[in-house]
Amino acid sequence: MTKEKKLSITIDNRKVAVKPNITILQAAREHNIYIPSLCTLEPLPSYGACRLCIVEVDGLRGFPTSCTTPVDDGMVVRTDTAEIRTLRQEVLKLLLSEHPASCLFCTEHDECKDYQGTIRKVGVTTGCRYCPNDSLCELQTITEKIGLTETSYPVYYRGFPVEKSDPFYDRDYNLCILCGRCVRVCNDIRMNGTLSFKERGKQTTIGAALDRTHLDAGCEFCGACVSVCPTGALSTKVSKWYGKPDGETKTTCVYCPVGCELLLQIKNNETIDVFPNYDSTIDQGLLCVKGRFAIPEYVASPERLATPQRMTPLGYEDISWDDAIDEAAEKLSGINPEDVLIVVSPQLTNEDLFVAERFARELIGTDQIMSVLITDMREETVSFLNLASASSPFNVIDTADTILTIGFDSTYGFTPIGIKIKKAAKAGVNLTTLSVHESNLDIVSGETFQMNVTKWPALLDSIMGKMPGNGKGTKLKPLNKVVVIGAEVIFSPKRGAVFEKIVEMKDRFGWKVIVAHPYTNLMGLLAMGAFPGIKRGEIVSDGTKSTGPAVEDPLSAMDLARHRKVVYLIGEVPFENLPECDFLIYQNALSVKSTRKPDLVLPSSLFTELSGTIISAEGRILPIRKATDPYGKSMPDWQIISKISEKIKSGALKYSSISAIQTDIKKQVKSLSDVKKRLEFRKISAKTSGKGRTGKRLSDPKSSRKPWEEKYRGIALKDVVSGMLVIEERRRHE
Amino acid sequence: MNRVRNHVLISIDAGTIMAGARAVEKALTEEIVRQGLSDEITVLETGSIGATGQGVIIVVYPEGVYYGNVTVQDIPQLVEEHLLKGRLVKRLLLSELPKQHVVTKEKTGLLKEQPRIVLRNSGIIDPENIDEYIAREGYEAIGKAFSLKPEGVIEEIKKSGLIGRGGAGFPTAMKWGFAHNAPGDQKYIICNADEGEPGTFKDRLILEGDPHKLIEGMIIAGYAIGATKGFIYIRGEYSLSIERLEKAIAQARQYELLGDNILESGFSFDLSVMKGAGAYVCGEETALIESLEGKRGHPRLKPPFPAIAGLWHKPTVVNNVETLANIPEIIWRGATWYRGYGTEKCPGTKVYTIIGNVATPGIIEAEMGTTLRDIIYEYAGGIKEGKKFKCALVGGAAGAFLGPDMLDVQMDFANLKEYAAVLGSGAILVMDEDADIVDMLQSVLHFFKHESCGHCVPCRLGTAQLVKVIDRIAASKGIKEDIEKLSNISDVMRDTSFCPLGQSLCLPISSALKYFHDEVYARIPL
Ligand SMILES: Cc1cc2nc3c(=O)[nH]c(=O)nc-3n(C[C@H](O)[C@H](O)[C@H](O)COP(=O)(O)O)c2cc1C
Ligand code: SF4
Ligand code: SF4
Repeated sequence: MTKEKKLSITIDNRKVAVKPNITILQAAREHNIYIPSLCTLEPLPSYGACRLCIVEVDGLRGFPTSCTTPVDDGMVVRTDTAEIRTLRQEVLKLLLSEHPASCLFCTEHDECKDYQGTIRKVGVTTGCRYCPNDSLCELQTITEKIGLTETSYPVYYRGFPVEKSDPFYDRDYNLCILCGRCVRVCNDIRMNGTLSFKERGKQTTIGAALDRTHLDAGCEFCGACVSVCPTGALSTKVSKWYGKPDGETKTTCVYCPVGCELLLQIKNNETIDVFPNYDSTIDQGLLCVKGRFAIPEYVASPERLATPQRMTPLGYEDISWDDAIDEAAEKLSGINPEDVLIVVSPQLTNEDLFVAERFARELIGTDQIMSVLITDMREETVSFLNLASASSPFNVIDTADTILTIGFDSTYGFTPIGIKIKKAAKAGVNLTTLSVHESNLDIVSGETFQMNVTKWPALLDSIMGKMPGNGKGTKLKPLNKVVVIGAEVIFSPKRGAVFEKIVEMKDRFGWKVIVAHPYTNLMGLLAMGAFPGIKRGEIVSDGTKSTGPAVEDPLSAMDLARHRKVVYLIGEVPFENLPECDFLIYQNALSVKSTRKPDLVLPSSLFTELSGTIISAEGRILPIRKATDPYGKSMPDWQIISKISEKIKSGALKYSSISAIQTDIKKQVKSLSDVKKRLEFRKISAKTSGKGRTGKRLSDPKSSRKPWEEKYRGIALKDVVSGMLVIEERRRHE
Repeated sequence: MNRVRNHVLISIDAGTIMAGARAVEKALTEEIVRQGLSDEITVLETGSIGATGQGVIIVVYPEGVYYGNVTVQDIPQLVEEHLLKGRLVKRLLLSELPKQHVVTKEKTGLLKEQPRIVLRNSGIIDPENIDEYIAREGYEAIGKAFSLKPEGVIEEIKKSGLIGRGGAGFPTAMKWGFAHNAPGDQKYIICNADEGEPGTFKDRLILEGDPHKLIEGMIIAGYAIGATKGFIYIRGEYSLSIERLEKAIAQARQYELLGDNILESGFSFDLSVMKGAGAYVCGEETALIESLEGKRGHPRLKPPFPAIAGLWHKPTVVNNVETLANIPEIIWRGATWYRGYGTEKCPGTKVYTIIGNVATPGIIEAEMGTTLRDIIYEYAGGIKEGKKFKCALVGGAAGAFLGPDMLDVQMDFANLKEYAAVLGSGAILVMDEDADIVDMLQSVLHFFKHESCGHCVPCRLGTAQLVKVIDRIAASKGIKEDIEKLSNISDVMRDTSFCPLGQSLCLPISSALKYFHDEVYARIPL
C-alpha cells in the first residue's frame, strides 16, 4: 500500500498534518480541536443541517460548515472567532426555540447536576426532569460548550403524542432536533429505509412513511436510530429512566454464531442496555434486535434461578450448594455409563463445553453427549454439520459476483450478513433469493423465487446447470459464488434433499457456503468434542490433513427412546423426545415450565456474569467478558460441573479459574492456541456402517414439530423478553 | 389545399383557460363552420401572448388585431363583423397591446416595442405544430451545431457571453465546459422548468408558446456536453405546458430530431418530461436532482457540483428554460449578432414577469441593461391609475425592494450586484404609493416559512421566528426590538443557512428596512 501523502493545514494558528480527503471537522477532531456539531456522526455521511460547526477559511466566502468542507493543502482555518461564537449562539438559540430547554437554562442547573444524578420520571418540584436523556444529552453538552446561558425565544412545544406502540423503544418527537442521524443510519448504514423525513419546513417530522407503526414499516428493531440520537427523542423502553451508565464492558453476543461485539452498559452492577460497536471488524456495529434489545430483560428476568433447589413432595425447596453438589455427585458416582445422558447446549462457552466433555468421557465414561441440534436436525445432522463446518467467513460476500440466498431472512437476525448482501446487490452483484415466504432481501434481489421447499432441489439443479464449466473438459473458471442458507431450510422437514444439493454446489461447483443457524457456539461444541463420535480437537484443521471424522448418525446412536437413570441438562431445557429417567438434573439460568419436573435445579450464571470464549460461525475465537457479578448464588456452568466432579473423584477435573481451563484447552487442541487466527475445520462425513438403525424411531417429525423460534439456552426469547413476543408473532405472520 | 385567408389565434394558457378559452374556441370554430368560412379561416391555439387579466384573448392575422375579454356571446358578432365583413369590433379591442415583435425592432402600437429573441415565436406560431416552428428557421441551429465540434459550440456560447437566466447568474459556457471536461460514460442535461418563484410565469410562456425552441436548445446543449439523455423537470401545475411539451417531443421524434443518430450526425439524444414535486426548493438545482432521483427534495451538499457529479452522480448540467431558449438563436445567428443586444457584461435580452400596480401586467422581453423606469413606464404602461411609484420587488421573493433612486439603474446581472440587488428570475412586483410595505414583507416571509425545506436549523426555525415577528408588527403589537430582530435573524440565516433559499431572505428584509424603516417603525405602538 502506498503511503498517503499528508496535507498541511493551519487550524487556529496551529500547523497540523492531516490525511487528504477528509473534512475540516475530521481533521480538527483528529487533533483534538473542538468544533461543536450535532448532526455529524461517524460513520454517517455528512449532512450539514445543524450549522453549528461553521468555521472561517481563508479564501472561502462566508462561514462554511466544517463537516462538509474538505481539507486542502495550505488551508488556513479559524474555528473560534468572536463572530463564529456569536453565530453559533444564535443558531443554537433558534434550535432551542422548539426544544424544551428547562434542563438547559435553570438557575439550579449546577446543583441539580451534582446532586441529582438519577432520573425521575415524574418531575420533582421544578418539574424539569421529564427527558429520559438527561445527563446523556449531546444538546446539554453543546449548550455548555457554546456558552449559551439563556435564550431569547419562547420555547414552542410541538405537542406530538409520544409514540409508544412499538416494541423496544419509544419516540417523543417533541425532543427531536431533526439532525437526521436516525434517518441516515436507518437508510445508509442499515440499508433498511423505515425512517424518513415527513412534511417539510417547520412541520418536518421523522417517522415511517404513511404513518405506519415501525413494525408495519419493516423496522428491524436494530435500535441504531436510538443509539445515534443525540437527544431524548428516541429511547429504549427498559433502560430509559436509568440515567447515565457507570460502566461499559465490551463482549460478544451469544444469541447466534455471528458473534457481534456488544458494548454492555452497566449501572449499579446491572446490565441496563447494549450498544453496538461501530468499529467492530466482525459486525461493523450492525446488531440485530436480539443483541441490541433482548439481553437486559433476559439477564434480569424474574425467572432467574438464584439458589439450588431440590424437588420434594411439597414442591421445590432451596438448598445449599454443598447439598446440591452432594446430591448430584451421589446420583452420578459409579453409575453405568449407559444409564446417563448428558445434554449440553451449543450456547455454552468453550470452557463450559471443554469441562462438560471431559466430565462425560473421562469421569462418567460415556460418549453420549447429547445436544439439541441432534433432535432438531435428526437424520440430517451429519450433512448439516458438514455444511456448517465448511462455512466461509462473511466477507466472501464483499467480493462475490453471484449470491444465492435460500430460506434466509435477515430482518430479526443475521443482520450483518443481510446488510452485506443488500450492499452487494445495490452495487450490482447478481442476487437470487429463494424462500417459502417473503424474504426481506427480495426487494433488492434480481430474481426472487417463492415456492414450497419440495420444489427447491429441482430449482437448485437448474441453477447448477447454468454454471460455466459444467461440461466435460472445460476448465472451471475461478468462482465467486456464495450461497447463504437460513432458518426456512434448516428447520424444514424437507431439508435433507436441499442439503444434498448445497453440498454438491459446494463440492462440485465451488460455491462458498454461509449457514445462518442459531447454534451460537456450534463450532466450539464440535472443537471441544462435545458430540458423539467426534474427539476433542479433531475437527480443527492444523493445515495438514484434510479429512475429518466420519460420524455415525447420532440420532440412532443415541437411542433416545431408552430409559436412563440420570439425565443431566447443562444449559438446556427438557425437550421433546427426552428419554424417561429416574433423576433429572436441570442446570440453567431460568426456571422452566415443563411436564417433566427436574429433581435437582442448579442455577447457572449468564454470559454477562462470566468470562470465556466462543467460536463463531466464521471460525473466530471471540471473548465473553464478565460485566456484572453472578446473579444470586449462581455459578458458571464449568464451575458447577467441576465441583460435582470433585465430589465424585477428587482431583479429576479440578478447575478454579477460567485461565486454567484455557491453558488446558490450548495444550490439548494445538490449533486453538493462536486466538487471532481464524480457524478452519475438517470435513465431517457420515459413517456408513452396515449396522443400520439401532434405536427406536422417534415419533413422526411432522406431528411433533413446533415452528422454529429464537431461543437462548433452550428458553424462547419471546417468553422472557416482552418485545420479542411481538417480533415472533410478526415473523409467524409473514 | 385551400388558401387560408385569415389565421385566428386563440391564446390558451392557464389564465385564459380559466376565463373560458376552451368554450370560446369551440364556439369560434362552430361559428366559422356555420358561416361557411372554414375553407378560408383557420383557428389555431397559441400559448400565452404576454398579457394577463384580459380574459380570453384572440388575435387575427395577418392584420395582427388583438381582442380581449372575448366571451362565447361575442363570437357570432366577431365572426360576422371581422372575419366576414372585415370591420373591427371596437368594443373588444385590447386597449393596451402587449407588443411583441421580432428582432427587427419594428415599432407598433402604444407601447415600446420589445426585441424578441427568446419569445420570437410565442403567440405567433401554433406551438402544437412543429412545421410552424420549422418554417421560422426552427431546428436550423442543430444542423449548424453538428457542423461544429462540441468544443466549438461551447466556444460560440462563451463568445456570446450568455449568462444563466435561472437566477444564480452563472456563465452558461463555463458550466457546460465543466460538464464537457468531467470524466463520465453518461452525462445529463436537465432543463429546470420548475418556475417556483411566486408571480413568475415567463418560463411557462416559452413552454406553452414555443416548446420546440426549448427542445432544440436542449439538443444543442446535450451535444455540447456529451449528454445523450435530457430531462425537463417541470412544475406539476403546468399541465398545459406538460401536454404541449410531450406533443412537441413526440413530433420531434417523428421528424427524427430526437432519437438515434440525429440528422445523420452520429449524435443520439432523447428527452423525458418529469413532473415536479411542487416545492419551491425543488427549483434549486441539487434539490431538483434529488427529486428527479425520486428522493425528498432537499438540496445536496456542494461540492461536488452537478457538473461533476449530478444526476445519479454523473456529470449533469442544469439550465433554466430561458437560458436554453437562447441557445438556438445564438448558434443560428452567431455570437456577434447576439452581442448586439444587451450590455457588455450581460448580452442578450431578459424576459421579465411584471406584476403589481402597473397598467399592463404581463411578460416583457427587454434588452439586458434596460432600466426599471423603462420597463415600468415604457413597456408596462406605467403605474396604474397614474399613481406614484413607491418601490418594486425585483428578482422574486428573495429579491430586493428597489426605491425611486434605483429607477434609472441599468438592470443586468452584473450591474445590479453593485447595488446589492439581484435580477433573479426576472420577476418584478411593482407597488404604488398606496401599497403597504409591512403587508408585503409579511407575505414574503410567510412564503419563505412555507417553502423552507426544513433541512437546516437556521432556515427552518429562523423563518418561523421571522413570521412571528412580522405578524406581531403587522398586528400593531410589535415592540421596538422587533425591527432589529428581523435583520438579526435574517443575517444569521444569511451566514449559516445550508442553501440559497435560507441565505437570501436577508435581501428583501434589509432593502425594505433601508427604504421604509420609518414606515415599519410607525406600526410599532408606543
Ligand atoms: C430556492 C431556489 C429556487 C430556485 N428555483 C429555480 C427555478 O424555479 N427555476 C430555475 O431555473 N432556477 C431556479 N433556481 C436556480 C437553480 O438552482 C439553478 O441555478 C438554475 O436552474 C441554473 O440554470 P441557469 O444556469 O440556466 O441559470 C433556484 C434556486 C434556489 C436557491
Ligand atoms: S429523532 Fe433524534 S436522531 Fe432522529 S432527527 Fe430527531 S434528534 Fe436526530
Ligand atoms: S436553507 Fe436549509 S432549510 Fe432552508 S431550504 Fe435550504 S437547506 Fe432547506
